Amino acid sequence: MSIKLRYLLVFIIPAMLLYTVFIIYPLFDSLILSFFSWPGVGSRTFVGFKNFQTLFTGSYAKELFNAFLHNVYFFLLLILLELGLGFLIALMLASKIKGAGVFRVITYIPNMIPLVLVGFMWGLFLNPQVGLVNQLLKLVGLGGLAQPWLGLENTALTTIILVNVWRNLGFYVLVILAAILDISPDLIEAAYIDGANNWKITWRIIFPLTFSTFRTLAILLFIWSFNIFDTVYALTGVQAGPYRSTDVLGTLFYRTAFGGLGSGAVDMGLGASVTVFIFMIVMPVSILYVYLVEKRQRSA
Amino acid sequence: MKKKILLVAVMALLVVSAFAGKVTIWSWRTQDAEVWQKIEALLKSRGQDITIEFTAYAPTEYDSKVNLALQTGTGPDIVYSRRLPGGRTQVLIENGLYLPISDHVDLTYFPQASLNSVTWENKVYGVPFAVQVVGIYYNKDYYDQFDLKEPTTWDELVANAEVLKKNGIDPFFVSGKEAWTLTMQHAMVGVSILGPEWIKDLTEGKTNFLDPKFTDVNKRLNDLKIYYQNGFMGNSSVDQDASFAFGQTAMVFYGVWGYQTWKQLNPDINVGYFMVPPITTDQKPYAYTYLDGAIALTSNVKNMEDSIEILKFCATPEFGTIFAGVTYNIPAVTGSTLPPDPVLQEALEVYSNHASPYVYWVGSVFTTQKPSLYDDVLSPGMQEMYAGKLTPEGLSKMAQDAISQWYPPLMNK
Repeated sequence: MSIKLRYLLVFIIPAMLLYTVFIIYPLFDSLILSFFSWPGVGSRTFVGFKNFQTLFTGSYAKELFNAFLHNVYFFLLLILLELGLGFLIALMLASKIKGAGVFRVITYIPNMIPLVLVGFMWGLFLNPQVGLVNQLLKLVGLGGLAQPWLGLENTALTTIILVNVWRNLGFYVLVILAAILDISPDLIEAAYIDGANNWKITWRIIFPLTFSTFRTLAILLFIWSFNIFDTVYALTGVQAGPYRSTDVLGTLFYRTAFGGLGSGAVDMGLGASVTVFIFMIVMPVSILYVYLVEKRQRSA
Repeated sequence: MKKKILLVAVMALLVVSAFAGKVTIWSWRTQDAEVWQKIEALLKSRGQDITIEFTAYAPTEYDSKVNLALQTGTGPDIVYSRRLPGGRTQVLIENGLYLPISDHVDLTYFPQASLNSVTWENKVYGVPFAVQVVGIYYNKDYYDQFDLKEPTTWDELVANAEVLKKNGIDPFFVSGKEAWTLTMQHAMVGVSILGPEWIKDLTEGKTNFLDPKFTDVNKRLNDLKIYYQNGFMGNSSVDQDASFAFGQTAMVFYGVWGYQTWKQLNPDINVGYFMVPPITTDQKPYAYTYLDGAIALTSNVKNMEDSIEILKFCATPEFGTIFAGVTYNIPAVTGSTLPPDPVLQEALEVYSNHASPYVYWVGSVFTTQKPSLYDDVLSPGMQEMYAGKLTPEGLSKMAQDAISQWYPPLMNK
């Protein structure tokens, strides 16, 4: 059945217009802006590659590299915890234990809490003197471990990542659980009849059959890890302290574009060059993601 | 044709009446809503039929929102503007988005220091509304209990801290997680220990951050950390407010804007104030004071006549009295009557007689470019020094390396 072009256009043009206005235009404008110095008002001054020079070899080089490494650490730990822990919890829920439905809801609840509230709550929980975390440690005789979690270089970033895991784990559990429940029960029953134990069923049947879901989630996690801003902002602020130990590319962008604290200089152009750098990292992985999804749809 | 003319006339009347008497004001200060309610009521009682529509936005989003709105013609009549020098306000003035008010408003009740922060090329852009006074706020009950006196030298301050610590009281509460509070601490210590003359020399390039005197300030602060609460690097200013208000700590390095919160949390708290003491008694102590901002007329103004009336009122001591009564902040306009509170009276006295004319934090040239002394040096640098990862000498070098990149008087020093 052939569809007339004008009918196709009726459906495509509104979406294309929205996509162009809200995605394509800002993308290209950011790219162009990165070659200018612009305080957000008035005319833009063309500066060529100066912003990139400042970023890669100038006064922000150290901060850029530092933030980039933190994004990488963010990604690695999120993969390990959100996918690893998510898989274990999804397995538990899929095994139809008593109260699985309640556990599923409980796991997902943090995902529904607004991030500002998450930042406020965890700010209280992690208070060094009276916070819930240190009080619990003291209660179970581990008072020696109590510390200012967000105030130490060695613990601050990991703490933020753990808060992120606490908030988002439910989403990954639900997606992985859906993939597990999609496996035909016949396969698992047959394996049991053939004498396979739970360990073998998990690693030889369930994991391989849900691997494509893991691959998709891993790519999404990569993209989100390099766009992370909100959790860090909510817990350690735009200064990403202590002394930039929780700095990520998102907070570096905020400081360079909007001037950080006080009446500091604003330079949207310098900020745009940070976003171009983020884009250059994320774009190849996004293309890979689209390719894999397309491939999966073709083979389905 | 007649019908058309009538229609146009009715439309014009509707448009005019929609704006008549209404003045829109944007701010980052939520606490000022009551101030404007009171002003509106007062003006109406005097026969001025002006309705004030006040909207406060989150401080972190405020500047972007104002920039965008003014450029697209959707901004308000009046905005709260940031002080000068500073890129944010200057760029709005240069692009004609803030209008000069010098010809409309009588500014005789403002000291020149305040007007300097709103003046650009001999024109005044906004009516200054509040000044902030920072220094050491202390719990008077603890000072009385342990027979302590307000210190007149740095050594006396340390001795007081020692007495408090020996008696099981945390001498200082420091919000190490929020780097801006540490930069403020450095700045307020700097004006007294280094003195305005040294900061003037720094500004003119006669000395630089590598001067041993600057390193000495770093060292004194680093040595003082043994008197801060345990785990201070993980605390925020919200924690500080609660801890100080409920008597869990004796002193805080903070600003007068915190006083209202402490009193709200604990009306019985007995607060005192002193400037950071200098090294010796023959040095004059100075307070770090700065203009918080101004009430500015925008190019988007739709109701010019009433907006000017509002601005005229903001320049009177009557405005200052209402403002101070609601917010417990020090109004920028002189001649106001402050609430009968010794802390506010002292802050006002300090602002009048001990304000340092030269500073290196908020309101200084060192924060107007990147890398900034505020954002890029003292914020991470103070945290790093307190964590033991940077020496006092290292912090001085960090400052010199950063500022000498763009500030001509300090280049090649």
